[in-house]
Amino acid sequence: MTDEQKAVSPKVWLALFAAWLLPGAGHLLLGRVRRGLLFAVIVWCCFGLGLAHTGRLALKDPRQPFLTTLQVVANMGIGPADLIARVKVYGKPVYRAYNRGPNASRDDRLVIFRERERSALSMYGTAYLWTAGLMNLLLLFDVWDIGRRRKGRVGK
Amino acid sequence: MRSHFLHMLLYSSLVAAFFAILMRQTLRDRLRFGAMIWLAMVGGAIILAYLMYPFPR
Repeated sequence: MTDEQKAVSPKVWLALFAAWLLPGAGHLLLGRVRRGLLFAVIVWCCFGLGLAHTGRLALKDPRQPFLTTLQVVANMGIGPADLIARVKVYGKPVYRAYNRGPNASRDDRLVIFRERERSALSMYGTAYLWTAGLMNLLLLFDVWDIGRRRKGRVGK
Repeated sequence: MRSHFLHMLLYSSLVAAFFAILMRQTLRDRLRFGAMIWLAMVGGAIILAYLMYPFPR
């Protein structure tokens, strides 16, 4: 591989950022319009179904740090839409079950979290939300491959 | 929608479509691969459900 091939163009980095920011946008930036639109429809459908079915927006819990961190990462994969959903659900952009520091308080985020968890639809919603985030994270690799021309233009 | 079965069908369809588009390039290949994933997910769940049937809680 030559140095020219190794260097990643700014357009690829921009496409990666756009892909995380708005599912499908990375593909659009790289000229893969149909592919980008199809992915956008699928990922947004998943995310919308997750919110409509009171999916849990994961909170990092110090009692189960590993698993809950993975859940938060899965949620965050969808980009700023997760942040907006958190503000709408919890009233502020929270990612932890408790506040940090000496004045640690639980406020009402856990109450809201458990309320959503108790909903009969929550398990479906949570699966859709995690899937949407993980799909979008996978799409970042696809954008990277397209940007580095590891994927052909067949079947855009 | 509260039906577990309908959610399984919908979820499998979304996941199958996603991976078919991601991993295959032509329409024909995508349809075949997507159908395979969908059948594996739905069929696998139904087979597993029947295997679990004799062992309730």
